[in-house]
Formats: sequence, C-alpha cells, structure tokens
Amino acid sequence: MDFSFQVISHNFPYLVSAARWTILISFLGMLVGLLLGIGICAARLSHHGWLRRAAALYISFFRGVPLLVQLLAFFYILPYAGVNLPATVAAFLSIGMCSAAYNAEILRGSLQAISPGQREAADALGIPPLALWRRILVPQALRIGLPSHINELILLVKVSSLASVVGIGELTRVAQNITGQTYRPLEIYMATAVIYFVINALIAWGGRRLERRLGVGQR
Amino acid sequence: MELDLFIRYGPALLSGFGITVLCWIVGSLGGMGLGFLIACLYQWSGSWGRACLQAYIEAVRGTPFMIQLFILYYGGPSFGLLLSPVQAGIFGFIIYGSPYFAEIFRAGFQAVPTGQFEAARCCGMTEWTIVRRIVLPQMLVSITAPLTNFMIILTKETAILSVVTVPELLFETQTMAAETFTYIEPFLALSLFYWAMVEFTSWLGRRVERHVTRHQNRQTP
Amino acid sequence: MTENSSSPANALITARGLGKHYGTFQALSGIDLDILKSEVTCLIGPSGSGKSTLLRCLNFLEAYDEGEVRIDGQLVGWQDGKASPRKPVSATKLREQRRQVGMVFQQFNLWPHMTAAQNVAEALVQVKGLSKAEARDKAILALARVNLRDKADNHPSALSGGQQQRVAIARAIAMEPRVVLFDEPTSALDPELVGEVLNVMRDLAADGMTMVVVTHEMGFAAHVANRVAFLDHGKLVACVPPDEIFRQDPADPRIRSFLQTYRERNVV
Ligand SMILES: Nc1ncnc2c1ncn2[C@@H]1O[C@H](COP(=O)(O)OP(=O)(O)O)[C@@H](O)[C@H]1O
Ligand SMILES: [Mg+2]
Repeated sequence: MDFSFQVISHNFPYLVSAARWTILISFLGMLVGLLLGIGICAARLSHHGWLRRAAALYISFFRGVPLLVQLLAFFYILPYAGVNLPATVAAFLSIGMCSAAYNAEILRGSLQAISPGQREAADALGIPPLALWRRILVPQALRIGLPSHINELILLVKVSSLASVVGIGELTRVAQNITGQTYRPLEIYMATAVIYFVINALIAWGGRRLERRLGVGQR
Repeated sequence: MELDLFIRYGPALLSGFGITVLCWIVGSLGGMGLGFLIACLYQWSGSWGRACLQAYIEAVRGTPFMIQLFILYYGGPSFGLLLSPVQAGIFGFIIYGSPYFAEIFRAGFQAVPTGQFEAARCCGMTEWTIVRRIVLPQMLVSITAPLTNFMIILTKETAILSVVTVPELLFETQTMAAETFTYIEPFLALSLFYWAMVEFTSWLGRRVERHVTRHQNRQTP
Repeated sequence: MTENSSSPANALITARGLGKHYGTFQALSGIDLDILKSEVTCLIGPSGSGKSTLLRCLNFLEAYDEGEVRIDGQLVGWQDGKASPRKPVSATKLREQRRQVGMVFQQFNLWPHMTAAQNVAEALVQVKGLSKAEARDKAILALARVNLRDKADNHPSALSGGQQQRVAIARAIAMEPRVVLFDEPTSALDPELVGEVLNVMRDLAADGMTMVVVTHEMGFAAHVANRVAFLDHGKLVACVPPDEIFRQDPADPRIRSFLQTYRERNVV
C-alpha cells in the first residue's frame, strides 16, 4: 500500500474551494429549512384541522422519503412543471424543503417548553397572532432549540454531498472528478472526509459558543 | 399511467427491494453489534482507550456516509480490501451506524448506577455476567425507543448505497427510468414506496417498544 | 515498613500501613487495623474522615496505594512480592478474594429488574454455579434470616427502604462470606425503619458473623460492637472496646468533641 501525501497536497486547494459550495448549499438549505419550518410548525399548531393535517402529512412525507430520492424527484419534476432554476438553487431548495420538516418538529418541541402563560399574557394584551409568533414565540423557541438546530445544520453539511449525484460541483463531486483524473481514490476521499469533518467541527464549536453567549440551557 | 412499465420491470424492482432490505437488516444488526462492542470497550477502558474510541465516533459521525462508502469501495483496493458493491454497502452500513448505536448503548450503561456494578462485583460476578444479567436487562427498556428510531433512519440511508452501484431499489428504479425515458412516475412511486416502508417500520418499532415496556408498570406499584 | 506489629492469631483481616490518595489528597494514611473473627468492629468518625474509603479498600473496591490488606494472610488486590509499582492480581483472583467479603451499601444497590429472591439468588447461580432451584431455596432461607420470606417475589420498588436494605443483607450473607462490610447501612432510611435493619444486624452478630460496620448509630456501636475504631482525617485515632470510647471522658480530645455533638442530641 502506498499512500501519497503529494496527491493530497497537490489537489487540496481544489477541494477547499469546492468546499465553499458545500457550505453555501448547506447554509442556504438551513435558511430555507428554518423559514419554511417555522411556517409548517405554525400550521401544525393551527386551529384549522385541515392545516394541521396538511402540516403533519408534509412532515411525515419529507421525513419518510430518502433525501436522495427527494432530490432526484425534484430535479425531474422541475422541468416537467416548466420551472427553470439553476441546479444549485434547486439543490438547496430541495434540501431546505426536507430540512423544514425536521426544523418544524424541533420548533414544536421548543415551543412546548415556553410557558403557556406567555401566550395568555399576549392574548390579554391583544397582541395579534402574527406578532405573537414573530416577536415572542419564535425567537425564544429558536434559542431553546439551538443545539438541535445546530445538529440539523451539521446533518445538512453531510447530506449536501448528495447534491453531487445531480451534478452539482460541490465537495464530493469535485473529489470524484479529481479521483477520475488521478486514480487515487483513497487519498482524495480521505482528504475530503477530513474537510467535511473540519467544517462540522467548526460548526459545532461555533454552535457551542453561540449557546454560551445566548445562555441556552440556563434558566 | 405507465403501469405496464412497472410490470415489465417488476422482477428487477423486486430484487432491488430485496437487496435494500438485506443491506438494511444485516447492516443495522452489524452496526448494532459493533456499537455495543464499542460501548463495552468504552465502559472498561482507561482514558487513552476512551479517547481513541471517542475519536472514532466523532470521525464517523462528522463525515458523510457517501464519502465513507467511497473510501471503502473505491479506496479499499489501495489497502487490499476488494469488496463487491453489496459487500461494501453492508460493511459501510455497519461502520456508519456503529457510533450512533454506540452512543445509545453508552447512555444505557450510564443509566445504571455505579453502585449496582459495585454490588455485583462484591458478589464476585465477572464483568460479562454483569453486562448480561444486570446491565442489559435494565437498558432494554430505555434503549428500545432510540434503537428502533435509528433503525428507521437507516431504512432511508439505504438509498445512498445506489451511488456505489449496489443494485438496490433506487438503483433499479434509476435504471428503469434511464432505459425507458420516464422519470416522473417512477420517482413519485418510489417516494411513496419509501414513505410507506418508513411508516411501516415506525409502526413496527412502536409495537416492539410497547412489547418491551409492557412490564414496566407492573414493577412500580 | 509493614512489619511494625504482628497480628493476633484470630485476625481475619489485617491492614498494615494502609494508605490511599485521591490525586494529591491523602484520604487514608498509616492505618493499622485487625478485624478479628466473629467480632463486630464499628468504624465511626466525622463525615469525610475516610470511613468508606477504608471499608472499600478492604475488598479492593478502591485500590489502596500504600501498605497492605490481608485476608487470612493473603494480600488483597495486589500481587504479593517486591515488584514496584505493584501489579494488580488477575480479575479471576480478585473475584475469588471478593467472594469471601460481602458488602452492604448505604444505597442498598439492589438490582431493580429482579425480585428480592432473584437478587439474592443471582450470584449463587452465576458465581457459585448452583442450579436455579437450589439457588432459590438458599435465597428463601437467607430472606427468612432477615424476616422477609413473604416478600421474596416482590421487586425492590415494592419494598420499603428498610426491607430493601434487609434484602441487600440477605444477598450478601447468602454467598456465605467470611466477613460482611456495612457502609452506613441505615443512613438512607427513615428513622422508624432503622430499627428493623439494626435488629437483623444484631442477630447476625449473635450468630457469630464477622462484621465491619461504618455507622452513625452510636447505640449500635456501644452495645453490639466488640471494638470501635475511630477515624479522623484519614488516620486511625483509636481501636478499642466500646466502653473506652463511650465513657464520660474519652482519652482523645478528637473523640470527645465528636461525641459531644451526639450528646447534645441526646443520642448517646
Ligand atoms: N473518588 C474520590 N475522589 C476524590 N476524593 C474522594 C473520593 N472518594 C472520597 N474522597 C475524599 O476522601 C475523603 C474520605 O471520604 P470517605 O471515605 O467517603 O469519608 P466518610 O465515609 O468517612 O464520610 C473525603 O474527604 C472525600 O472527599
Ligand atoms: Mg461514607
């Protein structure tokens, strides 16, 4: 067995620059997932039975189907429906749609930790529901659920590798291309794994700092 | 609808489904075994051993399953590990799942108070007897939910095996789609199928859970 | 360093120059103690004085780092010899040594998924290799000795604290150990349940069981113990018959001030 560090050092810059796309896709996916997730969570807790059921169905479906299948289906359906999106946008939208289901459930859990008294106080003051959500409930819930949301983001960094299957030049795809030229799969994929690991370690570290800053877990 | 399509490709899809189930069951049981081993080693290791095990856990959890598969399947030959796609898929599944299973078991170990270990040691029990007779029966109740939960997550991860040409369900569907130039229907059908499968395993998991916890209320009056 | 005093012929456990560190903190030092056969030795002393640590060194639940503990002349936990640092004995050997020593804990440490009888029978099957039926018979006998025959098929959660502790005592004596160590067996109990456990222990003592008891029950120490050992700051201050400790003017000022707190509460 010969493990060549030269292959790694020679190709490392390409991998690192491809990692930017990985980060972009996963962070934008998280953004979409959070915004959409808030909406779905609100629907899940709404007074309208049909809205609740629709949200539950959405959550069950997007958590029940492998993301890779979702991604492929999304890419096949888009042109069929006459929508023309850049592939990268389609990728983070699809990832975000899936992530929304998970974020909605995290939020629902966090909302349960907020005392019902606050809601009653807002009702008593006549604060309209939208403002109640936007100004009072969501900010608190995001804070309470921060560790879980950070976890979700780390998950997205990992699943963003699936975007390589639909041809997006993110980290995994570029690693595949380089392997195709160098015939050095072990070295290249090991280096790729390290980059993913470092990204996730940084997110976890940043997350912990943010938690401490916001005093998550302290009452 | 392209029903005749599904009939024509029925056998291939069925065999794909079989391979999906095979990889899922063998892979997750293997991962559970490896995870249990890691948790046991962790329990009885010194600080150095624990650091090594923790490093393994973090490394596997911090990297995408797909890259792990690539390292095994494409990188394997570089260190003399030649695997067929299905072998690589199962092996990859075992490695990918092991740290998550290990964490579940580790939490199970930690839930048993040290005093119970000490009481058992004072009776002269071997460590393995302690695990088998004292720890495992008590863990069973608390770990069933997370175990089944993670096995459900793994049902979905089987789809990723298609990228290393494991002829599982997604792979066969993609083949069919490419050969017949129909994409929408197969993929919608596939989505529904996975959805049904996950719902079914969740239902099964809840039943197992109820079965395991059935004595719980009887013990505490 | 350890040949300073020879032990009496009827000593079951002898500790010589026993010491134990936690990091830089010296929890025990220079303990010389003999546990005589068929005697009850009570360990008393202020909280944090090292009573539990001493007890746990006797069966190597804590690895002592100075001196030695011998049961019937055999060194416990460490391999006998001049090697330095000392090597621990094999796991098999340690289990064999521990089988001679029963232990009862402050928190009972029963196994919650087993009934009282199963708790007692488990080690008989797994360690002594008895058949299930034999083990159950022995377990019932042991439970009868602690007056709990009728609770044999209850899980610990269905027993009071006093009953749980008695099951734990039955579990320890069913293994027929040569000595039973008790670490504050009544400290976790409601006051009205203390008596039933102490009564069982008194019966055991009357039957000639060798016992080492860490306790804050001064009445028990005064009336049941053959000897009382007083610990302070990890050192053995005295190991004497109870009336020398509990008389009006104990020799050592540390004992005097310790007992003062009990006298103020009219316990002694
Ligand atoms: N595992 C440990 N690590 C560090 N210090 C300990 C440990 N166990 C006991 N100690 C210390 O050793 C001293 C003696 O403890 P212990 O034997 O439990 O006292 P006692 O049983 O007399 O109350 C205490 O000061 C305690 O803080
Ligand atoms: Mg103590």
